[in-house]
Amino acid sequence: MARRPANGQAPAQFALDVRGLTTSFYVGGKWFPAVRDVSFALKRHETLALVGESGCGKSMTAMSIMGLVPKDAGRVKAEAILFEGQDLARASEAKMREVRGDGISMVFQEPMTSLNPVLTIGFQVSEALRHHRGLSRRDAAARALHILDQVKIPSAKSRFNDYPHQFSGGMRQRVMIAMALACQPKILLADEPTTALDVTIQAQILELLRELKRETGMAMIFITHNLGVVAELADRVAVMYAGQIVEIAEVAELFARPTHPYTEALLRSIPRSDRDTAELYTIPGQVPPITRMPPGCKFADRCAYRLDRCQAEEQQLAPLAKAPAHAVRCWRRTEETQPEMVVVDA
Amino acid sequence: MLAYVARRLLLAVPTLLAVMTLVFVLVRIVPGDPAQTILGDQASQEALMAMRERLGLNRPLWEQYIDFLRDALSGDWGNSMVTGHPILQEILNVLPYTIDLTVASLIIGALFGIPLGVWSALHRNRLVDYVTRVGSLLGLSFPAFVSAILLLLVFSIELNWFPVISAGDRSSVGEVLENLALPAINLGLIMTAYITRVTRSSMLNVLGEDYIRTAHAKGLPNRAVIWIHALRNALIPVVTVVGLYLGILIGNSVLTEIVFNRPGLGKLIVGALSQRDYTMLQGLMVIYTFIIIIVNLLTDLTYGLIDPRVKYS
Repeated sequence: MARRPANGQAPAQFALDVRGLTTSFYVGGKWFPAVRDVSFALKRHETLALVGESGCGKSMTAMSIMGLVPKDAGRVKAEAILFEGQDLARASEAKMREVRGDGISMVFQEPMTSLNPVLTIGFQVSEALRHHRGLSRRDAAARALHILDQVKIPSAKSRFNDYPHQFSGGMRQRVMIAMALACQPKILLADEPTTALDVTIQAQILELLRELKRETGMAMIFITHNLGVVAELADRVAVMYAGQIVEIAEVAELFARPTHPYTEALLRSIPRSDRDTAELYTIPGQVPPITRMPPGCKFADRCAYRLDRCQAEEQQLAPLAKAPAHAVRCWRRTEETQPEMVVVDA
Repeated sequence: MLAYVARRLLLAVPTLLAVMTLVFVLVRIVPGDPAQTILGDQASQEALMAMRERLGLNRPLWEQYIDFLRDALSGDWGNSMVTGHPILQEILNVLPYTIDLTVASLIIGALFGIPLGVWSALHRNRLVDYVTRVGSLLGLSFPAFVSAILLLLVFSIELNWFPVISAGDRSSVGEVLENLALPAINLGLIMTAYITRVTRSSMLNVLGEDYIRTAHAKGLPNRAVIWIHALRNALIPVVTVVGLYLGILIGNSVLTEIVFNRPGLGKLIVGALSQRDYTMLQGLMVIYTFIIIIVNLLTDLTYGLIDPRVKYS
């Protein structure tokens, strides 16, 4: 990936610039990184998808950016997390509270449990407005009502004083989105916002997010393990494995030329209706636990193209010669011609 | 909601009826002759016969049962076998003392227990948490009569702030409060310990909930997250436990009542038991059932104030 000037200022086209983010957890008396040296830049108005299996550190990356990693269990370190001329990696907790829910918002995976059951949705949506914008109760309510209309809650006015349990899962996720968008954030972090929903509702929520993004011009980091969603929604994709970004590219480029063996395997494991397959492809083996990470490539154990040096030395995330915007953490990027995929029996 | 209260009270009728029937049967199968108990061992045969006649003990059982229910409903709960005073009157005389004491100790418990529990949860596994936890454990395991005597020694005898004997008349609010203070503090300490522990554990549960993370993600200040988002959810189990404990407290305040020499239901129960005042016990059982029903109803109504998911239907 091209080096950026390290003068502490994010280039103007970036909404967010994350450099060298490492988040560690205290397990059995030692610190183990769950997110290791993650760097990426989010352009303005862009949707960046963070993709990977459960536990690959994609949610933790978002939580780290938000400053929401519990202090007693986790430790977040970064060279810099630049947002609007501030370095969030060095911001005080008070400063982070100003940014959260205002400049950067987050939508979580579980709409059923992410809303407070004893507070009305009207209260919960207007809360951030009252806090960040200092609006009066009445003004905040008027604005909140407008946003609830915007996320297409039917008859929002009459439902303003309803409680979360009176809404369906999809409607609750709309409320969550309304809450996140209340202060018109520059960046929305969407952490698997559709995973817990029915497929038809998923499509509606994705459509809503796309529409809202177009209307507001915000940038979005969309965390998912669903590559179908990625193809539909994202401009760029970062594939994460074992806490690292292993490949990052424009969405069309990634789907056309998946270069990291893990990305390739992920794409192969999408069930397809247009091919006659008896079995679904699965990636053999398991993600190593964070307490027992191998020194070299973290994917080497499961990799079909493994060489001896893979397990000894760690590869850097570096751009492909023929596509500078496409970076991969694998020796394969240097190969002129990529070998045909070899299927390994699990 | 009024309809709900009315329905709950209506449902209390069969419960009360069942308890009264049980009481009626129990008293009849208890060995010994009530007439003999009233008149004593020296009573003549004629006197015993006359007493049985007067109590209606020689009439058929079902007739006695009908009479018993009719009298109970019309407010005639009979007279105490020991003092001869009407039972309902005796109970109603001490009831205000018991209610004062229970409500006051509940208020003390909530006032101190809830903030302490929250504070303890927020400083989990740090010094204040340990101190609070040990303190509340002490409060729970300390016998009420010991703490009562200590309170008396310090505040009544040494400092002379409060009366030693808390019976007093109920002529003025000031007097009631003065007599109430030490007994209420004594029971309030136990209540505080209880509420602190429940609030702490419930708060710890709630702080791990997704909606607390959402509240932080909105950038709310800590105090808003804790007092608006977390506490209200954390109070739901507290209400359950307090509701259960209140019922126990009403009968168990007897030690406090004895040490402070204060009238109350607990003392009445123990007195009736030790003197085999069966008629008094009958009345006390009924009134106790009634109190439990009311406490349960109030508990359920409190749920509705805290948790919108509770429906009164």
